[in-house]
Amino acid sequence: MVLEKLSKLIAEHKDVDPAGITLETTLESLGLDSLEVVEIIMEFEEETGVAIEVNEKLKTVGDVVKLIGECE
Amino acid sequence: MLVSPLCTLLGIRYPILQGGMAWIADAHLASAVSNAGGLGIVSAMNADAGWLREEIRKTRTMTEKPFGVNIMLMSPFADEVAKVVAEERIPVVTTGAGDPSRYMKSWLAAGIRVIPVVASTAVAKLVRRAGASAVIAEGGESGGHVGDLTTMVLVPQVCDCVDIPVIAAGGIADGRGMAAAFMLGAVGVQVGTRFLAANECTVHQNYKDRILRAKDIGTITTGKKLGHPVRCLKTPFSRRYLAMENDAGVGKEELEAFGAGALRLAAKEGDEINGCFMAGQAAAMVKAEQPAAEIIEEMASQAELLLRGGTRWVS
Repeated sequence: MVLEKLSKLIAEHKDVDPAGITLETTLESLGLDSLEVVEIIMEFEEETGVAIEVNEKLKTVGDVVKLIGECE
Repeated sequence: MLVSPLCTLLGIRYPILQGGMAWIADAHLASAVSNAGGLGIVSAMNADAGWLREEIRKTRTMTEKPFGVNIMLMSPFADEVAKVVAEERIPVVTTGAGDPSRYMKSWLAAGIRVIPVVASTAVAKLVRRAGASAVIAEGGESGGHVGDLTTMVLVPQVCDCVDIPVIAAGGIADGRGMAAAFMLGAVGVQVGTRFLAANECTVHQNYKDRILRAKDIGTITTGKKLGHPVRCLKTPFSRRYLAMENDAGVGKEELEAFGAGALRLAAKEGDEINGCFMAGQAAAMVKAEQPAAEIIEEMASQAELLLRGGTRWVS
């Protein structure tokens, strides 16, 4: 569920197919820089109302999903 | 006289913060700016707790006015210097290179006003939620580590998305830029490059001379390939760096290694071949070496004059 929502947001940002995004996909391979990661996380927050503590050790989409899970 | 809520918030006379420039913003520059009525900032850069504590104490012997500390969140010593500012009860901490949320609780408990540097609206919202007292919206005209957005575009949007004071940074080196920042919605400015030429700034004379000689097209941004672009003067080092960056055969590690320590070489040794002379686009607007107090008074009085005259455009 979280992955699905997150993939959709990433896909909108990067003009890619959300189906190609998995937990193992790295943020780097998606071409996401740190500002874009924060942007996407804040958009996720606004849609879901979950307050997310961002940290800088996020490497993969799975890391972001895990982080959101911890904050829910 | 300029009136800004930032002056009340920080206990300063002029709404001017001095940028937390690594290897440059030390006790000498910070105390001079604070004594002149601005907010001087000591940069904790990549230094350890012992160095920072000593620099803070030194600054205290040179000024009785409030001053701040800039914490570079990517520093290997970030955790320990974060403790030092709380223990030393530093009134204002500015942060760069990341999200300060992890230190926010302890800083707020120590009564510190936290003012993060932000390069996008999402980061501004994030730090506001975490308890920031104000934000510095820094456009890509700045020197050192920069974002993509310009000051002109970033500042009004940050003003629209947070309900805390916004300080504009990037490209501001005189009263015109300062007045413009207020028109964009900011209530103060952060100035880095112009203070490089302050008499009290201890940066190497070669660095000051390079700033004074800089032309409008005299800076470039390097390091985009590594994901953290840096604006610096065009010098043999930065040209070589850019060539390496554009060479597909040069790896990221090699590039990192080539850049390591280059700012120190410029700031401390004045090494014009191997040094990285970080500076904002406004370098070309810096015309003279002056006392920090003169810089601040000139900027503030020019801004005041322009803001007073703003009504001439309306009937």
